[in-house]
Amino acid sequence: MSDNILYSVRNLTVEYKTRGGAVRAVDDVSLDIRRGEILGLVGESGCGKSTFGKALLRLHDGPASIPTGELWFDGRDLMKLPIQEMPKIRGAELGMVFQDPMTSLNPVQSILDHLTETIQAHEPKVSNAAARARAEELVERLGIRHERIKEYPHQLSGGMRQRVMISLALALRAKLVIADEPTTSLDVIVEAKFLDLLKELQQEFGLTILLITHNIGVVAEICDRVAVMYAAKMAEVGSAEVVFGNPKHPYTQGLLNSVPNINLDAKELYKMGGEPPSLLHPPSGCRFHPRCPFAMDICTQEEPAFQSVAGEQLAACWLYQKKGDHQPSMKKEVSRG
Amino acid sequence: MANLKEKLPVTPPEGTTWEVELKQVGFVRKLLMARRWYGADWWFVAVSGVFVLIFIIVALVPGLFAPYSPDALVGPRFLAPGAYADLSVLIVPANSSVNELKDLAVPENGDRPTMAVVQGESTAGDLNTQAQNIDEQLKDQAGGLRLRPVFDRYTSLADALQAVVNGTDRAAVVQQKEFANIASKYPSLREASSLTGAKVAGGFIMGTNDIGQDVFSRLLWGTRIALIIGFTSSLLSLFLGVPLGLLAGFIGGMFDRLLSLVMDSLYAFPGLILAIAITAVLGPSMLNIIIAIAVLYIPTYYRIVRGQTLTVKEEVYVEAARSIGARRTEILARYIFPNVIPSVAIIFSVNVADAILTGAGLSFLGLGLPPTIADWGIDLARGQRFIQSAWWMITFPGLAILLVVLSFTLMGEGLTEIFNPKLRDR
Amino acid sequence: MSPIALIAIIIGVPAILLLAYVFVTGSTSLRRYILTRILLTLPMVFILGTLVFFILRVLPGDPVSSALGPKGTPEMIASIRAQLGLNDPLIVQYGRFLGNMVTLHFGNSLVGGHRPIIDEMSERFPATLELIIPASILSLIIGIFGGTLAASKRKKVTDYAFRIYAVFIYSLPVFWFGLILQLLFGVKLGWLPISGRIDPIIGTTLKTYTNIYSIDALISGNWPAFFSVVKHMVLPVVTLGLIQSGLFMRMTRINVIETMQADFIGAARARGIREHVLIYGHALKNAMIPVITLIGLQVAILLAGAVLTETVFSLPGMGSYLVERISARDYNAVQSVITVFALLVALISLAVDVIYSLVDPRVRY
Repeated sequence: MSDNILYSVRNLTVEYKTRGGAVRAVDDVSLDIRRGEILGLVGESGCGKSTFGKALLRLHDGPASIPTGELWFDGRDLMKLPIQEMPKIRGAELGMVFQDPMTSLNPVQSILDHLTETIQAHEPKVSNAAARARAEELVERLGIRHERIKEYPHQLSGGMRQRVMISLALALRAKLVIADEPTTSLDVIVEAKFLDLLKELQQEFGLTILLITHNIGVVAEICDRVAVMYAAKMAEVGSAEVVFGNPKHPYTQGLLNSVPNINLDAKELYKMGGEPPSLLHPPSGCRFHPRCPFAMDICTQEEPAFQSVAGEQLAACWLYQKKGDHQPSMKKEVSRG
Repeated sequence: MANLKEKLPVTPPEGTTWEVELKQVGFVRKLLMARRWYGADWWFVAVSGVFVLIFIIVALVPGLFAPYSPDALVGPRFLAPGAYADLSVLIVPANSSVNELKDLAVPENGDRPTMAVVQGESTAGDLNTQAQNIDEQLKDQAGGLRLRPVFDRYTSLADALQAVVNGTDRAAVVQQKEFANIASKYPSLREASSLTGAKVAGGFIMGTNDIGQDVFSRLLWGTRIALIIGFTSSLLSLFLGVPLGLLAGFIGGMFDRLLSLVMDSLYAFPGLILAIAITAVLGPSMLNIIIAIAVLYIPTYYRIVRGQTLTVKEEVYVEAARSIGARRTEILARYIFPNVIPSVAIIFSVNVADAILTGAGLSFLGLGLPPTIADWGIDLARGQRFIQSAWWMITFPGLAILLVVLSFTLMGEGLTEIFNPKLRDR
Repeated sequence: MSPIALIAIIIGVPAILLLAYVFVTGSTSLRRYILTRILLTLPMVFILGTLVFFILRVLPGDPVSSALGPKGTPEMIASIRAQLGLNDPLIVQYGRFLGNMVTLHFGNSLVGGHRPIIDEMSERFPATLELIIPASILSLIIGIFGGTLAASKRKKVTDYAFRIYAVFIYSLPVFWFGLILQLLFGVKLGWLPISGRIDPIIGTTLKTYTNIYSIDALISGNWPAFFSVVKHMVLPVVTLGLIQSGLFMRMTRINVIETMQADFIGAARARGIREHVLIYGHALKNAMIPVITLIGLQVAILLAGAVLTETVFSLPGMGSYLVERISARDYNAVQSVITVFALLVALISLAVDVIYSLVDPRVRY
């Protein structure tokens, strides 16, 4: 595996057993996350991005399972590890920041206890005093006065709680931080400060960040690369400039057109027709075809492959490929070791 | 205002397509598919439902299942389950017209009946005594019949019985226990009646109590009492508590606060003790017990219904309905009430269980029903006095209470799991 | 010093100190919370007392003549009625009743030796305490651990086994359960005694201070007495305790399951906190908080169960006292007992709420 790829996800599928049948919240998705980058993962609600994010830590809700996929993190396939080994990696090498900091923090546990518990769960030899010292240092770095460390979640403001969440993810210097809709519950000003902080921390700690959001504006602000998901599948991936400047997948184009732009004339707001499809009975062929302005016959019959369309920009669309015209799939690029 | 009905927003739209498809499936299909989804909980509800049905049937027609009337003194006292009494019985040929000793009486000069007895057994003495008694009675009556049997003594039971089979003797008098043991070898013979005319008992499956009543029959008849108390008091609580809860939650304000204060105080107080107080003053009767227990559970319905009303009231779709002018009664009927029904159903089943328990507790303490009624609690209280000697007097009525209460509770428990979305996997 | 006074002091003084401490050190919101709770207790006692009054007064039947029975001559009845003030208008009687309730002035029993009711209750109350305190502890331990265990093994055999146990135990009539235990362990196996608090012969050697026999035995170092009391109390405590455990188990299980689905549990899991720490440490602690309020409610059921248990095992406690007095038509005593129960429930409810406010930091800070 190339040295600059921190996490390489290959053909990941996450499946739920429901009363109606099996539903794939993530269907054969592949993605590379490069060291030191901020990668934005966007898509509509229900497209599977949150599930994807959690799956990177091999976390999923009860009735879900991961039937297939390879999770090459830092040289090893996490899927091959026994599940009991995962808690060692979670929090230590892989960190996660959640959407709603009020409900993501234990209401009857002080901030200090949150941090020391995390530290001591991974490094049992650390004494209480040492853990406390580290915790205080960490929160100070994140802009919270260390005296407040003994307080409880409900005594802090929303922005502070979110910063506590980051501190938890950083407590053990995680290599990859997955932020799942971290700013959705914050107001605009707090959100801006938060994103600034994120960028600072990334540079200071050398973090790699996967930023999952439905807010394209946020992605445009701080992300190096962008990945777009639709209906449990990956639609397009590329650097932020290229994807925003020259989107290839019709869905990406529609998404970008939908963002209200204050500079344009008072035309009617663009609205993408149709609705996200049911994942229980997804459309045949390319899942976007019912809503795609460029749909062709082949789009209703066969799924396009997810492959390169222009250098490092990848998309899954028949506009850029011919039947049988498959480039070597990403699978083969991965070398063991 | 008629067109307002069409304009009212419907309750939140259904989920994904498969739920809509489900609507088209028939009820029975849904029931069976539910089994797959809910797993064990479906079984809980189904099995307990069957039991509840059985109990209701027994309660409706106990006479159909009970071999004896609950008050009848059918046997000796303290007979253990399945044991045969130390009873002397009359054995006759299967096709004989003789049903009791008196039937063997003949006119003054007729052939005196021959009867087989076993040598050395007390049955001979019993027969002698009883025959003389009957004879005395007959002498005074008109009709000129006398009963002066001739005794044929045999050395063994088998011989005595054989004599009846052969026709040598018209009947035999033997110990019921001993005959029961070998009755199958004598298909041509049958037990007529006991010597004294007391009801012949082929062994009581649950034994008899301290005055000779059949425990099993009392058990079955007691079902009726238990279920009447359970259902009636629960329904009463329901019809009082639910409307009060709806109104309190909906109207709010002072009315709500005052009522809630009263209800909370009632709810906090030990139920049995309140029931004891009420029945103590009103006096022991079934109606008073029902009233006392009903009062106990009104707060439960009230609180749950009120809580749900408050929650639903705040839902956006109710606000929407109000904003287009729906009347309060409509909101109450169309939105709040249907949401409340599942909880009420669950409470009802658990309530019946609890009411039966409380009712039994009350009669156990001697504070409930008059002691002449066949009731499980009363039987248990009686059994307590004889716990050293007659274990069956307390075991079976208690088991009955347990089974009935268990059925209702299981049903409530299963329904809770099914209706409570938080307990299901997401 | 009467036993009740002693018990009242032992419990009351630390309680008041604790309350004062909490009040002084807590935040303003906590103080407000405690004050509100105390103020709310008053209406509750008031309402219950009124209920008791009306039940026993405004209903048919003359208590005095039934109490005296056939021996009562019209003059006796009249004089006692006048003595008890039963001829005064209802309002006056009610006012007097309230006053008496507040000052714990219970009057005398209508039957038998006309002893002061408060003396009779002082003798009976410790016996009830000796039953309900161990029973509560037992039910809490079984209920909470069983419930958490069931929640942790959700949808597997252990879970269903515990659920069936909980439902089963809940459906079991407490008095029947006691009888069966008596039958099994007392009659058939002969291991344990089936009635009374202590062996009568050994009982004569016991000096009583608090009238809680086990504590008295410990104080005076009377080991044979202590063991006798323990032997006698095993069956009643197990009966009552086991029955109570069912509800705690159900509640704990449901609360733990709900808590486990909370976001913060998922967040903790994402930090690598292990599953059993999540269940027993985090989820249980959170789930316990509503269970504390449940304890307050359970007292009511506990007292009801105590009435039945005392009757089955012939323990001379408040419960059996109530039943006896009702059969004897001693309305004065009945009224007093129910009033005491109401006060007890109100006080425990208050205590539970105060403890709750201490435990839940959302209320405390």
